[in-house]
Amino acid sequence: MSSDLSSSTSGDDPADPNHDSAPKTLEDQFASVALNVPENDAPASQESLNGVANGSLTDNNHRTEIESNERQGTAGGAEERIESNLEVEEVRESVERSVVWTRTISELEVEGPSSPSSSGYAGERGSTSASSGGSGIDGMGEDEIQEVRNDGSIDGVSDSPASWVPGKRHLDEDDASISWRKRKKHFFILSNSGKPIYSRYGDEHKLAGFSATLQAIISFVENGGDRVKLVRAGKHQVVFLVKGPIYLVCISCTEEPYESLRGQLELIYGQMILILTKSVNRCFEKNPKFDMTPLLGGTDVVFSSLIHSFSWDPATFLHAYTCLPLAYATRQAAGAILQDVADSGVLFAILMCKHKVVSLVGAQKASLHPDDMLLLANFVMSSESFRQATLTMLSLMSCFDDNFTSTSESFSPICLPRYNPMAFLYAYVHYFDVDTYLMLLTTSSDAFYHLKDCRIRIEMVLLKSNVLSEVQRSMLDGGMHVEDLPMDPSPRSGYLSPHLGQPRDSPERFRESYVGIGGPAGLWHFIYRSIFLDQYVSSELSPPINGPRQQKRLYRAYQKLYASMHDRGIGPHKTQFRRDENYVLLCWVTPDFELYAAFDPLADKALAIKTCNRVSQWVKDVENEIFLLGASPFSW
Amino acid sequence: MASRRRMLLKGCWSEFANALFMKCLLLRDLWQGWEDFSDESVSCNVQLKYVNRKFSNQYKATIGADFLTKEVQFEDRLFTLQIWDTAGQERFQSLGVAFYRGADCCVLVYDVNVMKSFDNLNNWREEFLIQASPSDPENFPFVVLGNKIDVDGGNSRVVSEKKAKAWCASKGNIPYFETSAKEGFNVEAAFQCIAKNALKNEPEEEICSQWIYLKVLRSTLEASSVID
Repeated sequence: MSSDLSSSTSGDDPADPNHDSAPKTLEDQFASVALNVPENDAPASQESLNGVANGSLTDNNHRTEIESNERQGTAGGAEERIESNLEVEEVRESVERSVVWTRTISELEVEGPSSPSSSGYAGERGSTSASSGGSGIDGMGEDEIQEVRNDGSIDGVSDSPASWVPGKRHLDEDDASISWRKRKKHFFILSNSGKPIYSRYGDEHKLAGFSATLQAIISFVENGGDRVKLVRAGKHQVVFLVKGPIYLVCISCTEEPYESLRGQLELIYGQMILILTKSVNRCFEKNPKFDMTPLLGGTDVVFSSLIHSFSWDPATFLHAYTCLPLAYATRQAAGAILQDVADSGVLFAILMCKHKVVSLVGAQKASLHPDDMLLLANFVMSSESFRQATLTMLSLMSCFDDNFTSTSESFSPICLPRYNPMAFLYAYVHYFDVDTYLMLLTTSSDAFYHLKDCRIRIEMVLLKSNVLSEVQRSMLDGGMHVEDLPMDPSPRSGYLSPHLGQPRDSPERFRESYVGIGGPAGLWHFIYRSIFLDQYVSSELSPPINGPRQQKRLYRAYQKLYASMHDRGIGPHKTQFRRDENYVLLCWVTPDFELYAAFDPLADKALAIKTCNRVSQWVKDVENEIFLLGASPFSW
Repeated sequence: MASRRRMLLKGCWSEFANALFMKCLLLRDLWQGWEDFSDESVSCNVQLKYVNRKFSNQYKATIGADFLTKEVQFEDRLFTLQIWDTAGQERFQSLGVAFYRGADCCVLVYDVNVMKSFDNLNNWREEFLIQASPSDPENFPFVVLGNKIDVDGGNSRVVSEKKAKAWCASKGNIPYFETSAKEGFNVEAAFQCIAKNALKNEPEEEICSQWIYLKVLRSTLEASSVID
């Protein structure tokens, strides 16, 4: 973790030995900013003067750039880094779209102060492509706006987490229904013989013909010795994923990047493996007629809740998990008792509060992939069975001597796809309260009573050390609020930042002055992902990012940013700065962490960069409380 | 180890399914004079009254096959038949094994007015057995339909019912139906028979005990949540 610190805080230290190529670019990029930091007050006006002059200049350039795209039509392909692999027609379409937006955006940019061109970013803008303006404008803006318009009328169901009820909807629909065809995002699972297994909307059996068509398309291409990955049809993307005898298809007009949609299909496949293991493959080998639908019957809620989480849970694209903020000592106490249990033959012991980890411990050499955690937590939280098992079950279960369920605890076979996709583990799940639950995973199907004893021991310790009440308190308090971002202008001076809880308790809080407008420098939200820990921390949502729609829109923007930063074709990027009509988005990737931040669309670039440095420093100052440290490193 | 323990279930498996699903191939020639009909194929005619067909023409043009969904009530169970119709086109060959993979039943159709279409039944059957390679070819559920018995009041008929039935008998007593897809005559009975045969042919599944457990767990909860 110490290397984290150096990369961001010693931007002006060229002799940093830890990083060779990567930080060099970073330092270049942030050099001007870093130098500016100490002399914050006086040169500020000068800087902003520069900014305006240079800024309008760049804006003019930018505008002509896009207008020329319009004239050349396909030439836009070169500019469009993200969507450069599209068909000509598609590009032309998007260029036309982007032109519409250019006007608004140029106006915005002219009004708002822009960055000094002396900053490393001016050059960077060229190399990370026109994406800073061009592709940020393109598509995304249009889609998002349309989404706002459509969400209510077409989805019919409010996405608000409060009112969102898991489960299958619109069962009466099929591929002939107008409403079905208008849905913005479909997910299908089918077998390689074309039999439907799962559909997000509509009844699987009624979609038999549609499912056969999907299989025919996949097979048609496969017969030509090729593989179909993506089909674009107007605004729709059809993404295919073939996993042995299982085919997964997403049809979407949300303009999410291909990589994101593919990642979502991978998660859906993983969720299926978690429920059934990969031994379904053997069933298909033995009997191609095998019909999986009955096996998955009743798991609609698990899939629908996973699909729902694609729009609110950053873990679905970050491949990292997040922790409930807790005092270091509290988390240590929880970890200690879990470790104690793990030593007695438990493979993984995980204490969670909703989708956030309180503590987790693995047996020696056992490591848990963040995606497995996501899928496991989703399975447990979406299945009411784990919350409210009934007495009926007791009598029913007597025929399965090795599986047992009672009122507040349950024991269920599950599979962790990244750990071992072929084998079932057994999960003992116990809810301490509505949100807090313990999961003990074992390889032994006879371990129920042992795990029950373990749970009783754990519960006693947790109660005695007040962990459960601390968890409750943290749930209410939340974690990092952008309004609380420390204002100290010199984060390098080695001071100790206050604990997470402290500024919130102090009488004069900075945040009062920011209510409704986010944090300093127009900072609205951030996500910090620690690469070494496989964990991320996300700031609490606060106005103007409030409500599920803004949240969804922001996460889609992050997701797009994430995909573009990790695009293998054009190599990993270090930084990216985008401005569109919704946000300024800034992404900064180092060997230690990734920082994604959203600002007011009028935010000043230099100030935004400075703020990102402060955020990364702040995260490091409180890492004891927001991250689970000392856990075994997670393997990919 | 319970994870190693497997269960062989006969019949029991389908108890878990509320509705059964079947992939059903429809094999036939592309006959001459087919255009005489207002619609272009058996399945399309069947569809006019019985089958829920959508966008079939677009599919056929690109892939060489037509897909239809038909629901059949047999005894107290609901069957969904996913009908794959090649419309006799050569193009569907491009789908190769994928077309035949996992078929639960196979419907062979000929035109009682065209001898060649009857002669070809043998080829279609052989081709199916090679490509789909069912585990028990002797007992695989085929059904033969002699179609278009209504044409010209039956005067243009060249394949007699007796001849067709004899062929069916020689191939392991394949059920035979004379239909008029145009008028919907006997079509429902044919589909009933398809459903019945496919159910009989249901194989033993080798299933993890955990799957059964999960399934029971879920159905119990569904039941209990209804009560709540």
